[in-house]
Amino acid sequence: MFRTFLLLLSGVALMGTAQAQMKPEDAIKYRKAAFSLLGYNIGNIGAMAQEKRPYNKDEAAKLAANAEKVSAMAFDFFTPGSDKGDTKAKANIWAEMDKFQAGGKKMNEEVAKLAMVAKNGDLAALKAQMGEVGKTCKGCHDNYKNQ
Amino acid sequence: MDKLIKVWDLPTRLFHWSLVLLMLAAVVTIKLGGSWMAWHERCGYAIITLMIFRILWGLWGSQTARFSDFVRSPLAVLRYLKGQASTTPGHNPLGALSVLAMIAVVLLQGLTGLIIDDEIATRGPLADKVPNAWVSMATTLHRINEKVIYLLVFMHLGAIVYHRKKGHRLLPAMWHGRASSSHPQPRIASVWLATLTLLVAAVAVYVLVVVYATRQ
Repeated sequence: MFRTFLLLLSGVALMGTAQAQMKPEDAIKYRKAAFSLLGYNIGNIGAMAQEKRPYNKDEAAKLAANAEKVSAMAFDFFTPGSDKGDTKAKANIWAEMDKFQAGGKKMNEEVAKLAMVAKNGDLAALKAQMGEVGKTCKGCHDNYKNQ
Repeated sequence: MDKLIKVWDLPTRLFHWSLVLLMLAAVVTIKLGGSWMAWHERCGYAIITLMIFRILWGLWGSQTARFSDFVRSPLAVLRYLKGQASTTPGHNPLGALSVLAMIAVVLLQGLTGLIIDDEIATRGPLADKVPNAWVSMATTLHRINEKVIYLLVFMHLGAIVYHRKKGHRLLPAMWHGRASSSHPQPRIASVWLATLTLLVAAVAVYVLVVVYATRQ
């Protein structure tokens, strides 16, 4: 009786961990969504920084604030097992997870700075900070993303 | 009796060395990324302008710059390779193919760059005007073609070294334009015509990447 109880208990515990564990398919779906939105926000600020569209302080500030929020979660979705599937993520991410996450943290910091700078309405400073953000993006794209 | 003749006119030489500098700058700026992307794009616009200029100059420029003067049949290329062809001033039949290949790949690099998306913060000025399938295809092509250009440049430099070893110095001629030859002086077109041609090319690129690109 006691043994059955223990078995049931461990079974429930296992189910609990199984639920906490995101399906790799979902992890890929969410990170693609996060990076797509990050691309939308950063890309539009980039267009203003490169003078392809008119600079608008309020819009830039809003885009940067949204970029900061999305970038904060983007790196939560590189879960174990999500290296396989419909993804351009390279396998070495999972081999060098600490280094990869450090790169992600660096990008988050630069995007957070961008959000600060965007609020001030100084286009020159925004351009300069976009350069820093772009470098952190490129760093990981070059090493961890299939083209 | 050999004498010094002008093989390459000033516009063609300026085109050549500007292209060298701009291609170097394009490579450096793409490797640096970040804020340098704006300069990478400017290099691209300038390079497209130069390519349009070169194509037009190949139609109505100086004799040795004209496609009709230097592009030969595959048979002529074969004869040249066998050492049976008489040499004329300007591009040899094999070099002509390399000119055509270079124009094709460099122009392709420039045009794909117009509709590219680097998935960071830089999109070609015309990326919003075309379907996303084109954008991703152009992005892939731009990356593959980069390697093809390196290969062609490598072959280009290899050919210079090869001819140098055979006692034929190509580099000084591309610098000051003169070479010794038994042939009569090729016809040289006016520098004003070249200036006008460059202007036409520049206006075409400006209309494409600024006027058309920013039109809603």
